Amino acid sequence: MTETLAHYKAPVVAGYPDVPLAEKQRLFDEIRGDIRFADYLYGCYECGICVAACPSARFYDFSPRRIAQAAAREDVELVYQQMQEDIWECSQCFSCLRCPRGNNPGGIITIMREVAVNNGMASAREALAGYSRIIYKIMSTGTQVSPDMLQPDAFPDWGPETGDVSTHLDLWRRALPSETLHTTSTGWAVDDKTLVELYLIWFHTGALDVIKDVDRGLHAILQEVMEERLEEEGIQI
Amino acid sequence: MASDAVLVIGGGPSGLRAAHGVAQLGIRTILVEKREFLGGTPIAENYAGLTPRGEPAEPQLRHMAELVSQEPTADVRLGTELVAFDGEPGQFRATLRSAAGEETVECGSVVVATGFQHFDPGRETQMYGYYEFPDVIALQDLESMLKDHTVVRPSNGQPPERVCFIQCVGSRDRHIGNEYCSKVCCGVASKEAIEVRQLLPNSKVYIFYIDMRMYGYWESQIYWPAQEQHHVQYVKGIITEVLPRGDRLLVRGEDTTMGRPMELAMDLVVLSVGMEPSMGTRTMAKLLGVAQNKYGFIDAVGSPLDPVVTSREGIFACGAALGPADLEDSVSSGANAAMKAAAFLRTRAGAVSA
Repeated sequence: MTETLAHYKAPVVAGYPDVPLAEKQRLFDEIRGDIRFADYLYGCYECGICVAACPSARFYDFSPRRIAQAAAREDVELVYQQMQEDIWECSQCFSCLRCPRGNNPGGIITIMREVAVNNGMASAREALAGYSRIIYKIMSTGTQVSPDMLQPDAFPDWGPETGDVSTHLDLWRRALPSETLHTTSTGWAVDDKTLVELYLIWFHTGALDVIKDVDRGLHAILQEVMEERLEEEGIQI
Repeated sequence: MASDAVLVIGGGPSGLRAAHGVAQLGIRTILVEKREFLGGTPIAENYAGLTPRGEPAEPQLRHMAELVSQEPTADVRLGTELVAFDGEPGQFRATLRSAAGEETVECGSVVVATGFQHFDPGRETQMYGYYEFPDVIALQDLESMLKDHTVVRPSNGQPPERVCFIQCVGSRDRHIGNEYCSKVCCGVASKEAIEVRQLLPNSKVYIFYIDMRMYGYWESQIYWPAQEQHHVQYVKGIITEVLPRGDRLLVRGEDTTMGRPMELAMDLVVLSVGMEPSMGTRTMAKLLGVAQNKYGFIDAVGSPLDPVVTSREGIFACGAALGPADLEDSVSSGANAAMKAAAFLRTRAGAVSA
């Protein structure tokens, strides 16, 4: 029988897919087994300094303290619940490092996210869905948000100048002092050698494989782009 | 020939108690105090009332000092520092320096009572603006005001309407390196909170804490009265930062028991600073060759059952030189060290004459 604690909302009530307890335990063991875990969690005073420092806690029902506590209590039900939503509400700014005990709730979240991604959890797919363009950009160009992505329709809250800037984007970019920033489709100029090295890193570290579990379509596109480029360089994967 | 004197270093509460204890046994006592007055940190930092009951500090400490000065076998040296030390247990030689010059005295055993200093709240990761905002003060600053019976905002001289204490400043913090609890700050802050409420009945006083540690009788002597009679507001949740907001200060934290972030405007913010080894404790430990623990306090190698013994034979330590301690602990270990130092002297004298 599952032990149910007062703070724990049953999956059927909270609205996420339930799995057997053994599976929750396995995911938790994977988190706890991470080499970084012992450096990220010592013990928690419940002083709340992390919550007060946390920008996300101001806007969401999110608490780095609850993340640290759930992990410290080895509460696999609650940790599984937090992997559905809470961990995706963190902006990974690491303001919570202010912890007097030296805990790193943001780091625990990093590990929890990686476990969610590596296990192809639905929450990871959902959380990353909005980021497919960003992931595509980073993995295919090595730069994150490119100037041409900042269109007024995508960012209506950025004010009236956004339209003007995007109309004459190339001109605005060429006004920047550094020549490597005279780009519109990438954040900055990336040379061919860097790009090839980057693709090799994605392949060899397994970073590309990780995408397969989260977004199959995106994975296929990236793989094709990279293989084609590497082939031109005469490199066989 | 073994010396017949005990050297006590430091004239604060524990040193005074140790010197008085040794002298009461009829043993020659040399009490060395760096400052020009006796009484230690409670006098130097203008403490108003003693925790827990709030008796005025100055007359109490003056009385302790008089008890020592009145003993015919006590030799009190003010404005004097130990600058060199050698010899063997039972026959130590200590060089004392004062305005009058240097003098070498013999002593059979030593009691180190060099105490603590308040944590400097401007250090390291603290983001409370102690040196930035005039209305952010520390426990001892408020003690000074309470001693004069006028609690005001340093920025404008007006009485504060909203006052808060932030606990564990410089204590229990892995980043700062002071992993220990300073023991007294919960009680001192609560005692000061009561005094502020008595002085300014219209004020609202908050204490933001991680754990309230008022063990033993301090529970009913301080904690309960603070809540029940003086309506001090205890909130479990530590403040992460203090920000200016108009002519007030905004404190940000989490009210952890309610599970929500909080932001409150304050007129006066009091930092409950913890204890660190004093410069005297650090310097004397090295000069005397006694081991220090990782925090710089003198290592109580016989703890817990023989807590005033140091790593060097014939040298004993007491009070806050051994680590955070309240007044009762300090004078108790002072008396303990006096007994150990006197007994050591007698043993050595017996051994030499036999």
